[in-house]
Amino acid sequence: MAASISGYTFSSVCYCSANSSADHEGFLLGEVRQEETVSISDSQISNTEFLQVIEIHNHEPCSKLFSFYDYAGKVNEESLDRILKDRRKNVIGWYRFRRNTQQQMSYREHIIHKQLTHILGVPDLVFLLFSFISTANNSTHALEYVLFRPNRSTDFFDKDGVMKDIRAIYQVYNALQEKVQAVCIDVEKSERVVEAFQADVNKLKRQIAQKKNEKEQEIRMQQAILSRQMPADNVEPMFVPRMSYTGFAVEGCTLEDSDVSDPPPPYSDFNTSTHDSSGSPGLLESSSIFMPRPQAVGSSSYVSTSAGLKYSGNGASMPSSQRALPDNVDESEDSDYENLLEPTESSDSEYSQTRESRPSAHPDGDSRNTQTSQI
Amino acid sequence: RTGGGKMAVQAVHLEADAFLVCLNHALSTEKEEVMGLCIGEVPPAEGRPREGRVAALPVDTNRIVHIHSVIILRRSDKRKDRVEISPEQLSAASTEAEISFSRNSSRLSLPQSSYHGLLAEMTGRPMRVVGWYHSHPHITVWPSHVDVRTQAMYQMMDQGFVGLIFSCFIEDKNTKTGRILYTCFQSVQAQKSSDTARPWTDCCKVVEVSFLFAAFNYISYPSRYDRIEIPIHVVPHETIGKVCLESAVELPKILCQEEQDAYRRIHSLTHLDSVTKIHNGSVFTKNLCSQMSAISGPLLQWLEDRLEQNKQRMQELQQEKEQLLEELAALE
Repeated sequence: MAASISGYTFSSVCYCSANSSADHEGFLLGEVRQEETVSISDSQISNTEFLQVIEIHNHEPCSKLFSFYDYAGKVNEESLDRILKDRRKNVIGWYRFRRNTQQQMSYREHIIHKQLTHILGVPDLVFLLFSFISTANNSTHALEYVLFRPNRSTDFFDKDGVMKDIRAIYQVYNALQEKVQAVCIDVEKSERVVEAFQADVNKLKRQIAQKKNEKEQEIRMQQAILSRQMPADNVEPMFVPRMSYTGFAVEGCTLEDSDVSDPPPPYSDFNTSTHDSSGSPGLLESSSIFMPRPQAVGSSSYVSTSAGLKYSGNGASMPSSQRALPDNVDESEDSDYENLLEPTESSDSEYSQTRESRPSAHPDGDSRNTQTSQI
Repeated sequence: RTGGGKMAVQAVHLEADAFLVCLNHALSTEKEEVMGLCIGEVPPAEGRPREGRVAALPVDTNRIVHIHSVIILRRSDKRKDRVEISPEQLSAASTEAEISFSRNSSRLSLPQSSYHGLLAEMTGRPMRVVGWYHSHPHITVWPSHVDVRTQAMYQMMDQGFVGLIFSCFIEDKNTKTGRILYTCFQSVQAQKSSDTARPWTDCCKVVEVSFLFAAFNYISYPSRYDRIEIPIHVVPHETIGKVCLESAVELPKILCQEEQDAYRRIHSLTHLDSVTKIHNGSVFTKNLCSQMSAISGPLLQWLEDRLEQNKQRMQELQQEKEQLLEELAALE
């Protein structure tokens, strides 16, 4: 495909755009033709090349935005006719001028484009996007232009009206969940094996200990017998053998090692007033202590700057996040889903709730799970 | 002297219809650089009282150069990378009187109409040449060192002189994106003395330089110049001014004149045989046809479309005016 535009038409679009303080748009008039080139060379009999040439002859600027469509992107055919009049049959595309934006078609532009192809009856309608950017000191400016022909691309919605992304993400979720469960089964098996080994090891240790004890007891008894025959002044302290565990094993519960050690020291309270921070002089002095923040659903990205162990509002690892939303959580943490329509009585979808009518008994996590299973 | 390193120009305001003509001109020619002059004014900075005496080229900071229209220039030297106008012709253009041009001059010549007079008549203010512009087709927008030197030379005459460059036909094959850039610049003398030790023959080719240019290079040892960036803003101008329209339609005339001159030069050689003459005549015909299909035809199309749009706009404004008059009458 090749496209051409005369320098005058191009400058005229730039001129209209320079005169508008907002975005600027309009229609492209011209013709599309197919060029067939047959080339004959010594090496080949004939080689035919097809080239579609889009020639833009002139443009029809719109005096203001939203002149033929509304905020939802619905095109109004009457307004379109009013703007184009008898030039409607010459329309081969439309254009938009924007400042400081990405060189991609926006979603609304996609919707409008699709409707225009149907209304104007031009399946290969083109879209010319002008983006304007400037250097920081405004000494150099660039106007970039790209021609799109988006009719070949895929739609957002499939034939059932369900957003394709939802199907795709559900498939991913399913696959992930299956994988999780498969690995879980393997892990469970490995746990049992470890458990069995641990039990065997413990049992063997106990047996060994028991045997050693018995041996020592024998030796002692022999020594005692010998010492009764010989008077002794110093009596060795009686060695009290430890009571051996009776070796019961509760299923799924690993027993502690027979080595009874001192219990671990209790966690010290973290508060700024303690002075036992000998190892880290600066840690408790600064007022903003950053602690690693576990990321859970609904966690915010900022770190807590409070000095204590208290977590702020949106329960990162606290069980309270599983309950209904507590009162101190502000509105902004509600669902992001939007509804442009009035909520109806019989709405069965959680997503169509506006914020005001959101039932407080449904925690975020559960409602999403039930919804995905209904699709 | 360049005024102690202080920038004389704070910003450039380019009226949108003049911007339109610059773009038209830049986009008209893909194989060569084109150039023109910027016509406008530099109003005195506010708050500075002008004393009785007339200061010649005041070294004020914070001046804004206002460009109202442009003059398209012909180039007698049509090589790809050379765009120059001699300072004598430039100063000629700067006078308040009619622009004179010399038919016999082998260098650049200026069009016949009196743009200054016209602009002065319409705006009530004297207009003069305040800068120059040229195009960089398929080339980056930044001025070459020759451009920077040329700009420095103009600044010798007028400190507030500015240079504009329009870069067009830039295409990125990977992203299928086209681009048009424009920038505004002036020149300052480079500070580092170590860089200035360059023989002047490196900076400009002897053969192409006019006598004055060469003299300039002899008189002041050519030190290195650097460009400085000047902010430029396109100022909305919803209707196209008369001077801009006349400049726009001047372009096909200029191209045709260039072609005629080239043909006449050849045609004046009387010793050519008839076959060669036919060949030359065909070349002229072909070139003129190509100009008409690339420039005149689309220009005509654009003007007709603009006429239609203006008629439409007239009707809408007429209706709006009537409604407003009624509204006003109702309020009284």
